[in-house]
Amino acid sequence: MSSRLLILTLTLLTGGLTSCSDKKKLEIRAKGSDTMIQLSTAWAEAYRKVNPNIQVNAMGGGSGTGIAALQDGTADICNSSRPIKDEEKAKIKAATGKDVVEHAVCLDALAVYTHKANPVTQISIEELQEIWAEGGTITQWEAVGGTGGQISLIGRQSSSGTYDYFREHICGKTPEKKQREFRQGISELVGSNEVVESVSKTPSAMGYSGMGYKNDKVNWLKVSAKKGGEAVIPGEDAARSGSYPIARKLFIYTVGEPTGDIKAFIDWIKGPEGQAIVNKEGFVSLK
Amino acid sequence: MPDSTRKTRVNKSLLSDRFEKPIEWLIKICGWSSLAALTAILIFILKGAGPMISKINWVEFFTSTKWVPSPGTGNEPHYGILAMLVGTLSTTALALLISVPLGLAAAVYISEFATGKVKEFLKVLLELLAAIPSIVWGFIGLMVLAPLIQNWFGVQQGRNLLNGGIVLGLMSVPLIVSLSEDALRAVPDAYREAALALGASKWEIVFRVLFPAARNGLLAAVMLGLGRAIGETMAALLATGHANQIPSAITDPVRTITATIAAEMGEAPKNSDHYHVLFILGLVLFVITGVVNVVADLVIKGTKKHV
Repeated sequence: MSSRLLILTLTLLTGGLTSCSDKKKLEIRAKGSDTMIQLSTAWAEAYRKVNPNIQVNAMGGGSGTGIAALQDGTADICNSSRPIKDEEKAKIKAATGKDVVEHAVCLDALAVYTHKANPVTQISIEELQEIWAEGGTITQWEAVGGTGGQISLIGRQSSSGTYDYFREHICGKTPEKKQREFRQGISELVGSNEVVESVSKTPSAMGYSGMGYKNDKVNWLKVSAKKGGEAVIPGEDAARSGSYPIARKLFIYTVGEPTGDIKAFIDWIKGPEGQAIVNKEGFVSLK
Repeated sequence: MPDSTRKTRVNKSLLSDRFEKPIEWLIKICGWSSLAALTAILIFILKGAGPMISKINWVEFFTSTKWVPSPGTGNEPHYGILAMLVGTLSTTALALLISVPLGLAAAVYISEFATGKVKEFLKVLLELLAAIPSIVWGFIGLMVLAPLIQNWFGVQQGRNLLNGGIVLGLMSVPLIVSLSEDALRAVPDAYREAALALGASKWEIVFRVLFPAARNGLLAAVMLGLGRAIGETMAALLATGHANQIPSAITDPVRTITATIAAEMGEAPKNSDHYHVLFILGLVLFVITGVVNVVADLVIKGTKKHV
């Protein structure tokens, strides 16, 4: 009795599965940066309406993972939040016989957020380094012209691309030319919006997050590359011109010049519809 | 008439004969399945922890506060859980400090003092309280408790050890109340009557008669409350501030082991060292709850011998 039931359920289940997958779609496998995973998913969803026969599968894993996937042919395009390294280019050339082609698709700027009531308006990269990096000398707001004692640091969890990028650009290098790590004791929150939300509730807070999460309960600090230098407020134009120091380009990489459906997809991303999604997801469009 | 009754009786016994064995087996399987589940979980965690069990530096793991699971290019990762261990244990201790007195007192009131409609109402209310999802408790910590703590203690960060302790404590109260209320109710009325006859007051009955008589059940209630507090994830993640440091004050943000797993598991690349180490964190939690249970068992046995 029960075994008959089991067989019935199994047949129903497997029947359901096969009927789901029998309609063939063309697949584009996009893999790479975790920073870009939401953006990539948003592109994939919107593109379904543009061309219903194309299924874009967006996967994370990190920029390095995506580039490795290009090399072994398990991805068609790679999302990367950093420029490809020369040795990675050489490896892909050796494995596939083709050159890697770079497509800049948008910009990303990180803003340094403070509480609305905080009187500090600007900060330099050097000061940020002493505040955030391991062994840094600044722990009090007074050291950067503020009040309120100890700075409460609010950042992202270690698997986030934003964490990586901020560490790379703010913490700098150790005397041994290695990446300097963050100091311990930073609140590591899950999600860009949570960082901003938490900053808005903590008068002594300093946090980093994408530009897209600003609200009227928090301030942006102007950032200068050197102490005493010209400080720039984060913004789309400042990110595009490179005058804002914590901005970067985000890329898509392909093996060889893209053709056919992949070319159409990348062209669409660079076009007005793709770029509108870029802005909606909190990044900065190319133009 | 007598014929037909005999017939049904025969039928009934035939029926129960036929089903007796399978049902006995079914119940046996159910009983053993908990052991099977436990073994399966242990195997799953050990398998997940896999190669890192022999690779990890265990001394650093337990004595360092440095947690750098995905270091910058060229750097060595650091897996030191001392600060998280302190975070987990301190929030749990604080939670118990709140939930045990509150839970026991409420249980005593409901079981011994409240009567009629009040009693029924309170019981329904407790069940409702127990059914509130943990993420909602987390939000209460985040939106309600954090600003209150900021005002009362004059501190900057409202999400901290105190916040986490209160939230986890309140979360385990309904569990402790309903289990200890069961334990108190299970004490035979003859005990109460005998104590009354000896001239004991109501408080003396509660403290001198009911608590000793129901101690196993009460201890089990506290243990399950502790289990809830130590294993809670979402509320801990939202309420504690998730900062990896050994707290120097009750208002410092802390980070728990469970919250670390929740925050980092989703994005740790599968089969990376970081991924395996998160499983080792699970193993640590498994060992902590195991030790707590064994100790509780020994305590119960010890008090039994004593009496």
